[in-house]
Amino acid sequence: MMLARVADSLYWIGRYVERAEHVARLADVMLTATLDRAETAAQVARIALSAVGDATPEKIATPFESARALALDRMDGSSVVSSLALARENARQVRDQITSETWERLNLVHLRLSGAMAAKSFNDGSSAFLHDIIADLHLFKGAADATMSHGEGWRFLLLGAHLERAQLIGRLLEVCFGRGVERLDHPTLTAVLRMSCALEPYLRVYTADVRARPILEFLLLNAEFPRSIRFSTDEIEAHLSVLSRHTEAVHVGPGRLAGRLKARLQYADMAEIEREGSHVFLEGVLAECGAIHSGVYDAFVAYPLEMRLPA
Amino acid sequence: MATAQRSEEIDRALAQAAAETAAKADVKPPYDEMHAPDGSVRPHFAVMARRLAALGPGELDERQRTLERFFLLQGITFTVYGAESSTERIIPTDLLPRIIPADEWARIETGLVQRLQALNLFLADIYGERMILKDGVVPRELVLGAPSYRREMQGLYVPHQAYANVCGSDLIRQEDGEYAVLEDNLRVPSGVSYMLANREASKRTFPGTFRLAGVRQIDRYPDLLLTTLRSMAEWRPNPQVVVLTPGVYNSAYYEHAYLARLMGAPLVEGRDLVVHDNMVYMRTTTGLRRIDVIYRRVDDDFIDPLTFRRDSSLGVPGLFNAYRAGTVVMCNAPGTGVADDKAVYAYVPEIIRYYLGEEPILPNIETFLCREPAQLNHVLGNLDKLVVKAVGASGGYGMLIGPHASAAQREEFAQAIKADPENYIAQPTIQLSTAPCLIDGEVDARHVDLRPFILSGEKITVTPGALTRVALRKGSLVVNSSQGGGSKDTWVLAGPGDDLS
Repeated sequence: MMLARVADSLYWIGRYVERAEHVARLADVMLTATLDRAETAAQVARIALSAVGDATPEKIATPFESARALALDRMDGSSVVSSLALARENARQVRDQITSETWERLNLVHLRLSGAMAAKSFNDGSSAFLHDIIADLHLFKGAADATMSHGEGWRFLLLGAHLERAQLIGRLLEVCFGRGVERLDHPTLTAVLRMSCALEPYLRVYTADVRARPILEFLLLNAEFPRSIRFSTDEIEAHLSVLSRHTEAVHVGPGRLAGRLKARLQYADMAEIEREGSHVFLEGVLAECGAIHSGVYDAFVAYPLEMRLPA
Repeated sequence: MATAQRSEEIDRALAQAAAETAAKADVKPPYDEMHAPDGSVRPHFAVMARRLAALGPGELDERQRTLERFFLLQGITFTVYGAESSTERIIPTDLLPRIIPADEWARIETGLVQRLQALNLFLADIYGERMILKDGVVPRELVLGAPSYRREMQGLYVPHQAYANVCGSDLIRQEDGEYAVLEDNLRVPSGVSYMLANREASKRTFPGTFRLAGVRQIDRYPDLLLTTLRSMAEWRPNPQVVVLTPGVYNSAYYEHAYLARLMGAPLVEGRDLVVHDNMVYMRTTTGLRRIDVIYRRVDDDFIDPLTFRRDSSLGVPGLFNAYRAGTVVMCNAPGTGVADDKAVYAYVPEIIRYYLGEEPILPNIETFLCREPAQLNHVLGNLDKLVVKAVGASGGYGMLIGPHASAAQREEFAQAIKADPENYIAQPTIQLSTAPCLIDGEVDARHVDLRPFILSGEKITVTPGALTRVALRKGSLVVNSSQGGGSKDTWVLAGPGDDLS
């Protein structure tokens, strides 16, 4: 049992932190790609920018400025600085529910990113700057895991994180492979693996054979890689089934949706997905994620009072 | 820039005024907490003085920076509202603790208990039989006409007659070293989180000295607060306590969250609560859950739009009716403000004598009520020597410090007083005592006051510690955090009979 508003805030902290980490990684990969051939750099920039917003020709042509905007533009609601400001604002609202260790990590990275020195640090060494932010966010997750009770609040935090992760990876895969397994060159495919933080785990499974089809398979269906959509849907289902234990049977909507989505990925067949078109499958997954999000609200946060008043 | 320059000018003017005042033969210098008049270090400060002498140059400054970083990291901040945006700042914190010897504390403690006992009895009386008004000890219209008097509280049962469950009294130290009460805060007093955070910080800064000095512990405060709150709902086997906050934009939000976390009580906002059938529930992930005790950090006006201010969006519609029905307890009770009203303050010594038949242990500051014609004339004739305060205002607003004001400012205030004499009181300018503070890397004396915290439920307890507020500008007497004040830790030393805890 916890306050509905608190559950909502924890859920959004999970989502915003996940989003911030993803966007920081996209910006970093985009900048690294500028050292490659011009066509590759443009291709990577197009993928990265499309995965989180608009990829206009001007933005693609100025990767450094675009990456800085992804990291530090306060006017852009999905930039790293905006996401972390929102995560921290939510954390402040539930300051009594998260441990000091967890709060400190989030507060620290927020202060660093919103401080007067942030723009200068980025200009002086963008890669180190983005790398440190990602490392700080890992520390946040580690502190939450190691110091918070693994009860309801923690589950809402992780539910948000995995739902966001599934949607972010889903969108990235749509951009890369949505119109069939597009012909992307080897450096671009490597960049896609880096964007999902999957390069090393992928190589361990498929060796250095970097091709579009196994990448799609790995990021969609791998059971062990924590950023594959299958892994995230397993987590979503696991957390929702525990969270739903104490709500009345009528309200198990999101749990049912999550179970169905989990089964869909668990028993998916790559050849079948390709026959139908990977975009059809990805669209379906993203729509289900959206439905789970609404379901969580209806069941735990914004439920109608008449149903719950004592007789 | 313009404001910075102006405040520097004010600083210079204030320092000059203070020097001139001190130069006059008939004015005694302020009480020095650390040094006796002959320049020697007072015995209870000796351990600290030795430690300070042993520190190398720059070491104090470095420790101060470590402390500020600790506050920032923990998010121990308050919100400053500007014209365009609001920013979070750490409350200026001084790392040198103020030290109070055991015998002085014993007197403060008994004095505070006596005072709160009397004030709770006073509240029970004026919201009940009104004997004190019938006996003519306190003027009827002063109480019933006060803006903080709540007609709605008339005849309501309050467990243990504990109206002010949490009280933060402001004490000052006069030139002769005697402690006196400047103000009682019985509404929603804040600052206790700074008391606890300052203690964390000073333990880190002076671990050895802290041990040597024999400082009494204050970390049981959250536990005592919870016990006090629970004692207000004894008819429930395991009462559900919550902390009600106006929300994250309130300047004391950090404190609300801090206390909720340390008590293990949910921190709720008005929108989390629902009143149904005169019972109060909170919205949880698994449905509605009944609430028994609300430690509310929301002013009376904003508790319930149906009973008090209709334009309030912070409150819970129907909450006061549930309170009236006795299904839920609010702490502090609504309407306690009438007992810390600046005009009622003048009668507190009489109130103590009336209910307890005892002489007040802690004196009041001499107070002139402008509502009384004779006293009004005295005030108008001596504006250059007095501090004038508006009765309804707090936080250092609506105040005239006569000796430091210009003739034009005094004239402006005189007009305001004449137009509405009931709204003003005046007190002689009192020198606050001074304590050593770290200012720009050097140890220098600054004026301080003292805010201890008193809890009253089934019984009254005073935590052996306090928030010492500091006027950071040299010569300034204004300690409010909204007016450039800071704070520091307060070490209450254990006496022969005292347990450290």
